[in-house]
Amino acid sequence: MSLFALTLLAQLGLLAQTGLLAQPGGEEGIPVNDPLVIAKCGTCHARDERGNMQRISFERSTPEGWQEAVKRMILVQGVSLSPAEARSMVKYLSTEHGLAPEEAKAVLYDAERRIHRETTIPNEHMDHACARCHSFARVLSWRRSADDWRQLVAEHAMRYKLPPNEDAIAFLSKAAPLHTPEWDAWHKLARTPDLQGHWLVTAALRGHGEYYGDMQVDESADGDFTTSVHLTSVEDGLRFVRSGRGVVYAGYAWRGRSAGPGTGFTAPDHVFSQAREALWFSPDGSTAEGRWFWGQYQEFGFDVKLRRATDGPALLLLDRWSLKAGSQANRVRLLGDHLEHAATGDLNFGAGVTVRRIVSSTPNEVVAEVDVASDATPGKRDVSFRGSAIRQAIGIYDRVDYVKVMPDSAMAAFGDAAHARGYQQFEAIGYQRGPDGRLHTADDVELGPMDPSDITWSLEVFYAKPGASTDFVGQISPSGFFTPAQKDPNANFDVWVVATAKNETGRNGKPLVGKSYMVVTVPSYTLNGRRYVRDLDRWVDEGPAQ
Amino acid sequence: MKTIALLLLIAASAAAHHGYAAFDTSAEVTLKGTVTDFHFVNPHCVIEIDVKDDKGAVQNWKAELTSANHLAPKGWNEGTIQPGDALAITGYRAKNGAPSLWVTKIHLANGQELKIDTSN
Repeated sequence: MSLFALTLLAQLGLLAQTGLLAQPGGEEGIPVNDPLVIAKCGTCHARDERGNMQRISFERSTPEGWQEAVKRMILVQGVSLSPAEARSMVKYLSTEHGLAPEEAKAVLYDAERRIHRETTIPNEHMDHACARCHSFARVLSWRRSADDWRQLVAEHAMRYKLPPNEDAIAFLSKAAPLHTPEWDAWHKLARTPDLQGHWLVTAALRGHGEYYGDMQVDESADGDFTTSVHLTSVEDGLRFVRSGRGVVYAGYAWRGRSAGPGTGFTAPDHVFSQAREALWFSPDGSTAEGRWFWGQYQEFGFDVKLRRATDGPALLLLDRWSLKAGSQANRVRLLGDHLEHAATGDLNFGAGVTVRRIVSSTPNEVVAEVDVASDATPGKRDVSFRGSAIRQAIGIYDRVDYVKVMPDSAMAAFGDAAHARGYQQFEAIGYQRGPDGRLHTADDVELGPMDPSDITWSLEVFYAKPGASTDFVGQISPSGFFTPAQKDPNANFDVWVVATAKNETGRNGKPLVGKSYMVVTVPSYTLNGRRYVRDLDRWVDEGPAQ
Repeated sequence: MKTIALLLLIAASAAAHHGYAAFDTSAEVTLKGTVTDFHFVNPHCVIEIDVKDDKGAVQNWKAELTSANHLAPKGWNEGTIQPGDALAITGYRAKNGAPSLWVTKIHLANGQELKIDTSN
């Protein structure tokens, strides 16, 4: 055991309490049986006759959680590991000391590198104890015994000079315990995933619209997987192939990388960009969802859904988000698999929508003409083709009540010699209010992205005089793409990103306006002799300024 | 030590990216008006409100609150405040004279005070 670890444990009073191995709470540990983990970690984390290793047997986490832990052991404790050994250990720990699929799905946005509005932080105690520094997903990416949570909180209290926090220990021990029915059930059933074969894919990229296609997954000799994804843009018909590799942890957690063809593109949001992949496969292995992301701050990404290809029809996407009540002969493209020989009776758009005729039909596309009754009730409709349905596929509306700019809160960053700029793509989404008559409530009808040609984009810097130039912050394109200024002004700015509708007006007769709150930051700064660097939506202490 | 500190993730939330510095906290003012928009977002929720001055001219003010993350546990959501709502908002004015306010209290037309979190 290193001097650091001994000192830490002694300061925590744990040597006397635990004898290193026993868990005072009496919780059963998860035995460690991997020879590499035992060999590399056993010097400090003693292993008892039941196979329980101190700390490790009383913790579970995601691949990212264990990767962070292994890195910390290398850098802080001086553990010597080759890259292959580190990968092997993370794979073992993420699988045998991982999260159940249901547990992991709740914090998937952390692995997907999404800026997420965490409105579920239960109380101010937890906000102050954890969420001031970490995303709450990072906290709930771990499951621990009550004693292990106590040790973690004690370590934080000592390291950051915080007061003891019994509330945090009590909450975490209850909300994120080591043993859960979900994990016990999943761990008993967990098997080597059989992901090989043919999958159907849909992918949405903000500002680019939706894509559809298929993916071939093959297992390689080392147990990892290779992928070949053929995608077609719904918007402009662009076809391309993305090739990649991936690893599956705990039977469902896909982590991989992929890229499109060539490197001769310059647009930072180009669909060929090399991306990291985080996918969550459903416990039955039939579907998956997640994100393929890239950018200095992972600000670009496809929202991806997969489903296993079958011999039957599979409806994947429509090229329309909404149809107006009373509109006639609307041409709608339905995209999917095994859609050939379509007849009008094969399609169902729900109440108030009639399929007038099938214009064309191929295995991957049906073009239909549909009429919407003038008295059709506004709301979302499922759309089905021979029993294959897309839930809430299309919105029926009679007016656009408001515009929402997405993301509604956003971050971008100036660049410097060490950091590329952080961009942001915005979309204006139309909505009709629902039966409750109020805006921004659950019954509102989402009508999809408004055509960029119907929107005027502009910027407003907080506290600035109306009409003042915003060029020092950056520029927004006619398609809603924000590019920070080339020159770093060495300050952060709060900015409204404003979408003004050209044709849609509100009840007051004025054009509809939607806004997003964007913070444009410096990439790094120095405070009290320490260097802070932006990471997603937080600032990370990089240590003493050079 | 650089990397060690990075991995320890001593981070500061961007939700607290600016404090009261832009506002004059020496005196509170109260605005009465009609809501034109409400943004339930991070890092700050913002109420846009039309306020008539003594001469009847209408000016649109932006009243800033804490983050959506902090207001959500108090029962707030995107629909809590609606365009058209009549509100009395008390808070600190922006130092530079911009029609912006840091909110300390909100009262509905019926006098009910909305629970808020005044942290930045």
